[in-house]
Amino acid sequence: MEPIDQELDPSEIELPAEPMLLNVGPAHPAMHGTVRIVMELSGESIERCDVQVGYLHRGFEKMCERGNWSQVFPYVDRCNYVSPMLNNVAFALACEKLLGIEVPERCQWYRMALGELARMSDHLTCDGAMAMELGAFTPFLWMIKGREMIWDLMEEETGARLTHSFGRVGGMAQPPTPGFKEQAKAVTKHILGIIDEVERLLIGNRIFLDRLEGVGIVPADEAISLGWTGPCLRASGVPYDVRKSHPYMKYGEVEFDVPVGQTGDCFDRFMVRIAELKQCARIIDQCLERLADSGPVNVSDPRVILPPKSDVYSTIEGTIQHFKIVMEGLKLPAGEVYSYTEGGNGELGFYLVSDGSGTPYRVRIRPPCFFITGGLERVITGAMMADVVPSFGSLNMIGGECDR
Amino acid sequence: MSIIEVVLMLVKIVAVILAMIMPLAIMLTWADRRVGAMAQDRVGPNRAVIWLPTRVAQGAAVGPALGVAALVAFLAFGYLAGAGEPPTAEARATGACVFSHLAIFMTWATFAIISGLVVNRGARSSFDLWIKGFPPRQIVYIGFGAHALAIVLASAFSGTEQGLVLRDWGYGGGAAVLIFSILFGAGYAAFAIRNEPRVGLRLLGLPHAFVADGLKTLWKEDFIPPNADRFLHSLAPFISFFPALTVFAVIPFGDTLCFGADARGHLDITRLAHMVPREGMCTAGALRLQIVDLNVGILYFLALAGTGIVGAALAGWASDNKYSLLGGLRAASQMVSYEVTMGLTLIGAVMVYGTLRLDEMVRWQGENTWGIFVQPLAFVLFFASAVAESKRIPFDLPEGESEIVAGYFTEYAGMKFAMFFFSEYIAVVSSSALLAVIFLGGWNLPFLYRDGFHVAIGGAAIWDQPLSHGFVIVLGLLAFMLKVVGLCWLQLMIRWTLPRFRYDQLMRLGWRKLLPASLVNVLATGLVLMLVQSSEGALATSLRTLCDVLAAVVGVSMIGAFVWLVVFLLKPTRKRTMLASSSAQFAAQMGGTHTARMEA
Repeated sequence: MEPIDQELDPSEIELPAEPMLLNVGPAHPAMHGTVRIVMELSGESIERCDVQVGYLHRGFEKMCERGNWSQVFPYVDRCNYVSPMLNNVAFALACEKLLGIEVPERCQWYRMALGELARMSDHLTCDGAMAMELGAFTPFLWMIKGREMIWDLMEEETGARLTHSFGRVGGMAQPPTPGFKEQAKAVTKHILGIIDEVERLLIGNRIFLDRLEGVGIVPADEAISLGWTGPCLRASGVPYDVRKSHPYMKYGEVEFDVPVGQTGDCFDRFMVRIAELKQCARIIDQCLERLADSGPVNVSDPRVILPPKSDVYSTIEGTIQHFKIVMEGLKLPAGEVYSYTEGGNGELGFYLVSDGSGTPYRVRIRPPCFFITGGLERVITGAMMADVVPSFGSLNMIGGECDR
Repeated sequence: MSIIEVVLMLVKIVAVILAMIMPLAIMLTWADRRVGAMAQDRVGPNRAVIWLPTRVAQGAAVGPALGVAALVAFLAFGYLAGAGEPPTAEARATGACVFSHLAIFMTWATFAIISGLVVNRGARSSFDLWIKGFPPRQIVYIGFGAHALAIVLASAFSGTEQGLVLRDWGYGGGAAVLIFSILFGAGYAAFAIRNEPRVGLRLLGLPHAFVADGLKTLWKEDFIPPNADRFLHSLAPFISFFPALTVFAVIPFGDTLCFGADARGHLDITRLAHMVPREGMCTAGALRLQIVDLNVGILYFLALAGTGIVGAALAGWASDNKYSLLGGLRAASQMVSYEVTMGLTLIGAVMVYGTLRLDEMVRWQGENTWGIFVQPLAFVLFFASAVAESKRIPFDLPEGESEIVAGYFTEYAGMKFAMFFFSEYIAVVSSSALLAVIFLGGWNLPFLYRDGFHVAIGGAAIWDQPLSHGFVIVLGLLAFMLKVVGLCWLQLMIRWTLPRFRYDQLMRLGWRKLLPASLVNVLATGLVLMLVQSSEGALATSLRTLCDVLAAVVGVSMIGAFVWLVVFLLKPTRKRTMLASSSAQFAAQMGGTHTARMEA
């Protein structure tokens, strides 16, 4: 008979166990947009995971190559669909860089004000959704109410709530409406009130802090090596903001701070967005102050901007100008350009190649989300299943931008 | 057990389910949706309407009113027509008090409602034009003033000659005004809807919560995943639903009703109109306002609450879905952990009360002081674990809709889903009821005894108001309902304020914080009990005075809370209108829609 106390390897005594393979997404409440994470779960902790993007790929870059340059605007609207105005402006700036023109001052202030409003809507959505996914439903509803006001304002300015297609190469589609300043001031004031309420409700809440603090930490060097930009990078402690580091439009002339985090955890990413909301309100105030009530919004270059309709019908120059732009498209000089701005999630870059024909030869977009989502696997491996929610929420992946 | 007892028990079960659990659960469902809607400036779950033909609606308004008016007339003036004896002096006094206050209440309530309606829809008759001069708020103030005046007059002239005249005027006049205002309100309603093609019954949106949200699930597809265990999958919702309902069997709703027996040994309902002695229990004709009077009371509750776990765990296992499995596992471990804390916190309470019977616990609290004052820590701990047991935010990990879709009921649809859903709400009601019974004195109100109000602190009597037995019981029932509703409201607020825990944090809270705290509570309770029991009479006297002071504090704060609530409800609401876009402005200019009056 064998002795009972024979030496056994502990692994032989334990019941055979294998990790559970769980397919999260592409249709899952925590997966904003459409992304799929294949997880290997041991209990509730994630041993390995595989983040698969691309479910929202619509061939945006290829589609751009069949119209003219102005026809790209509706496409960029659908990239980051939470802050489409930023994309509009970014693309217009890229084209203008290739053309070597600069829009009038009034237009620049107007673009900045609209862009910061769009950034507010982006951050409100992200922080609100984060709170909601952690179960705090009330702050989400408040923040979405704030976003609704921004969208109402955008509707008033552009005619569309979400997909504005409002930018133009060399200006904007319309000058600001007479009530814009007043309404924008009212909206930002209201939103600052909402942010105060949200802060009071969440920042002192032990459960909320426990869920976010120390979760999903990304150190600064790792964030840089992943190519992160925007609020996520700043939360890791790197004060890189395109608006500050490489000012475009009038960002060099306005006063604002760049909030940075310390540890790079989910809470820092949440707070950086809250702080940026306040900075946005600050920038909007300055823009509205400097925004002239009258003056040209578009450049006066007839090769770029459509003439007024009255000229089209009454003068031969106007008719020809209109005909050339509509039939042949706006002609960008042959060459290539990389233009980058601060989008809702970070550095939003457009790399344009033109062969001078009036049709884009190549439009390459550098979406901040794509690089940020690239770090998701690193962030959630080893974490618990429930940590995916705040981690993924705070990275703010926008499917349309990431998958293009 | 005789047939009568069985029938009585069935009546009690039906009454408890119909009058307490279902309405409260439906109201909670409605309130949950309404809070969400209010935060978004939506109308919310108020749209479902039951359409009635105009004649039927008029009948529904006038018929019951006629019945109630006839009942009041019979009770007040029946003796004039030769039915029964003329009321005694005592009955006249009680009747004068009840009738006059009811009359005042009915009058101002009717007029306030009509005035509010007129303000909303515009005047349609000369009476409407007249009442438009009195805004609803003003009518409510006048009504409250009238109540106060009646109380002042009653106590000022109590025991004098004029007092007797006043009493008879209050008796006759009060009843007459009550009959008039009931009939007037019903008549006005019937008159106001006479030209409508049909009348919608909206009942504050409750049909929406019950019919449109609840009953409709009966007609939904009953989906069972192909590889699921069909039997267990179908069984789980029942196992989950059953304990939530049956917990109510041991909850005492009110003090024992004493019918007494007359000379021939029959039940004597008229006893309810008389006073009963403060001490002692009635022997014959007693009706306990509790479905069953189990000697294991609280243990029965713990045992059944434990059964609910099986339902969730089974649902998670039988669904053949990994999310369900995770949810089921979470539910099982969470509920088992918090069950332990729940049981241990109650040990302190059981030590103090010296009984496991819930009705005796309530009596102890009536004689001494409310449980929340002797076991404050246990109240907090028990409340936390009760919320955890009901699986609602912040403890809703088993559902965790953003992580594991819907947790253990991911694969449920139709009525089976609704059973899980409803059992959650019923768990809220049952835990509130249990908290009210164990810690908030059940049906007790400060200084309300079996023979009426006796406000006295440390033996020094301040105010006495003898009340009839039936009235005391009704007050107790109302007090119990109020406490339950208050605790439900608290749980609702928690659900809308807090985020949810993570699994390991939840376990840490349960095992490392709540459990040691409940053990400390048991130890501290034991030490204090030993100290009190071994002490001299002086301590007992001062403790008794402390009990009276605490009761006074509770009474004053209840009145304060009531006043605050009234002031809050009557405060004119200021709606901020934010119309950024011209389309919204255009819509507002056109008057908006009827259901959403553009109050964004």
